[in-house]
Amino acid sequence: MDKAMRVREICDSFRELCSVPYNESLQSYKNDGGLIIGVLYNQVPEEILTAAGILPVRIRAVGSQGTEASDARFTQVNCSLVKHFYDSAAKGRFDFIDGLVATNGCDHVRKLHENWTSVLKPAYSHLLCFPKRQGDDLQVTQLAKEIKKLKESIEAHFGVEITDEALREAIKLHNRTRELQCALYELRKGENPPITGAQMLAVMMAGTCMPREAYNAQLEELVALCQDVEGISDYKVRVVVYGGEIDSIDFFEAIESQGALIVADSLGGYGKRSADMQISLEGDLYTNLANAYLMERPAEPRLHGTRAARWEYLEKVAEEANADGFIQVFIPICDLWGYERVMFATEVEKKDLNCLVLDTEYIFTASGQTRTRVQAFVESITEGGR
Amino acid sequence: MAKAPERLYQYAEVFKGGMAMTAEPAEAVGGIPKIMHENFRLALKHVNRLIETVENDEPLVSEWYGNTCEIYAAMDLTHFCPVDLIIPTRPFFDSIDRMHEDDTPADSCALIRLAVWGARAGIIPVPTVVTGMLEPCDAQSLMHEAWETVPGWENIPTISLDPPYGYGDEDIQYFADQLKREIDFLEEHTGHKMDWDELRRICEETNKINSYWDDVNHCLMQKPCPFHSLQAAEWGWTQALHVNWPGDPEVTEFFKLMAETAADMVEKGIGAVENEQVRILWADLNGSWAEAELGPWLEETYGAVMVNSFAGRTPYSVIDTSTPESMLFGLARKGINEVPMIRQARGTVDTFLQDVKDMCRDYQIDCVFFPNHKGHKDQGGNIGYLRELCREMEMPLLTFSSDIFDPTFLPIDELKRIIATFFEAQGWKPLK
Ligand code: SF4
Ligand code: SF4
Repeated sequence: MDKAMRVREICDSFRELCSVPYNESLQSYKNDGGLIIGVLYNQVPEEILTAAGILPVRIRAVGSQGTEASDARFTQVNCSLVKHFYDSAAKGRFDFIDGLVATNGCDHVRKLHENWTSVLKPAYSHLLCFPKRQGDDLQVTQLAKEIKKLKESIEAHFGVEITDEALREAIKLHNRTRELQCALYELRKGENPPITGAQMLAVMMAGTCMPREAYNAQLEELVALCQDVEGISDYKVRVVVYGGEIDSIDFFEAIESQGALIVADSLGGYGKRSADMQISLEGDLYTNLANAYLMERPAEPRLHGTRAARWEYLEKVAEEANADGFIQVFIPICDLWGYERVMFATEVEKKDLNCLVLDTEYIFTASGQTRTRVQAFVESITEGGR
Repeated sequence: MAKAPERLYQYAEVFKGGMAMTAEPAEAVGGIPKIMHENFRLALKHVNRLIETVENDEPLVSEWYGNTCEIYAAMDLTHFCPVDLIIPTRPFFDSIDRMHEDDTPADSCALIRLAVWGARAGIIPVPTVVTGMLEPCDAQSLMHEAWETVPGWENIPTISLDPPYGYGDEDIQYFADQLKREIDFLEEHTGHKMDWDELRRICEETNKINSYWDDVNHCLMQKPCPFHSLQAAEWGWTQALHVNWPGDPEVTEFFKLMAETAADMVEKGIGAVENEQVRILWADLNGSWAEAELGPWLEETYGAVMVNSFAGRTPYSVIDTSTPESMLFGLARKGINEVPMIRQARGTVDTFLQDVKDMCRDYQIDCVFFPNHKGHKDQGGNIGYLRELCREMEMPLLTFSSDIFDPTFLPIDELKRIIATFFEAQGWKPLK
């Protein structure tokens, strides 16, 4: 088969996996007796679950049709993401999970976890308290303690032992995933990126909803193929997307349909930030996990004291990918990303950057509006607007 | 001599005006007008101290109400919460309108928006150091970072304390350990030193204040309520957490005055409202309009009193002053487990529910108002629990969406209409 075709085929299969909460891969894993834990947001050190022989699956309310079930548990002040997540959970769309692990990632998510746990009563539930600032040894020690608590809780509930050896193997496996993902990001920096931003999003998300060994094997193949395909040239501008837990492939496609090729991103949930770290295998593994998740991984607005570092990272990503502009994305009612937008606007102004701000509800429906705004943005760049 | 932002001098005039308005009756009859007079006087003292600090180019610490201000006072450092004067003086300035013109997220808390706008507008003095608090809401953390993008605020040394999620001794100790680091940080950046004996004296004064505050609350539990809607919560919250120089014996005297006045009125069976009919729990902070703009209407129309709120919910433990460690532990407990709002918003829903339950019982409450403040995203996720609790207690619950710091979000007249409908459903008729 032609290499480009095979690349498309792999990306399509990843996309297929991401199109429903309980995909075929997960179904066959469960049918073979596998255990699955649903994970809320990207701060959970999933290596612990892998070391326990449990598959961590990131919760996504893909295909959610409404939020009625959330109305009794949340109000107008809560974001659409948690409402869709809760609604899907209440309607049984995540009934395949054997437990739930969350962090206090934001005020909404911690309440999502609390309501889900007390009302919908998953068989197992744990909240890992993640420090709210990057800091010093106090915060790293605190997080290491929290990770150990998660380990003990998993061991007690599932009757398993998480040995250091198993954890080491798990870290290696996850490190390999991140390494391969970064390799793919690297290839997208070229003039003719081998895959689109929408395809890359599917690649990243697939890694969170299928067994990891199988994922790594496919990713390995994809990276090899991508080194050798012609790549995309029919675009007008190169953009970097900046945001949090964006998981809508349709949204990315709407952006790219206007000639704005997403060549890089600084996305936390399913983007480069989630892949851009390696966890050390030397010394105490729990401290290493804490150190990597808190101090080494490119930070989010949720981690206080990281503002300058966040933008430095974003600028580096943009520069390396030779981007023409930024598209900042956020979900309304989200204070974390809402204020990041306000602050980033000062940087945009100071440095005279090309930047478009798009808001989207968790379930993306504003396709026409998005296309129109991106089209205008593209024109402003190509016609030398800024 | 440096000049403080013009706004500070204007605040001083506002408080002087308040003192003048309450001076006569204060001398003549004492009671509530005297407390109001003292409240203005202490607020003026705070503003003057701020002005003097800026004019003399002395170190100025920006804090947030979960930070334990006893530490700054023991280091002889002038401190202030950047919104603490914008909020009570709101009716005298166009701050809310100006805030609306700013690009801060319209769906976030007006307190945060005012703090960011205030720094940008130059009405807040630029602090020497910032000690931030990352609880109780997401926006606070970002607010501190947003200040870093304001011209003149770019390179201010900042330390922010990470709140744990739990309530146990281990969690408190984690916070206490950070307080120790905060002291080192302040010593390094301000040149002021910690005086542990002074901290001991201050903590003892704080213990006294809290004991008086407890007495006040005990009086609010009686029928009729000795103070007007949310007054006690407003005064206590302001003096204990915002314009207070901890350890100032005048502030202790203020709390004593509140306690004695309340006790006297209770003893004589005098209520602030002549014909008290309905007792309401305002299940949030007071905010900036509920007391003055909603309270009088409720009282006059229905004889309904908002007896207390989370701002007045202060089950403070006594700070053990025997060693520096025990003091830091006691202060940490106060900062994360006891201070209003942080107490209810941090961690799980349990404290929030327990507070509502206890307050409904203790204050002989007839109904709960839940303002679903648009900044309190966590409380939005508490709504199901609150409904269940109120059903269980057979307690009427009114929920409405508001911004407790921005009266334009839910116009007061609209809210009055909502309340009237709710009262009618309960069979509570207007007095006349
Ligand atoms: S979008 Fe923002 S508010 Fe919503 S869950 Fe994510 S971080 Fe929280
Ligand atoms: S009032 Fe609530 S939302 Fe506003 S700053 Fe305070 S804790 Fe945050």
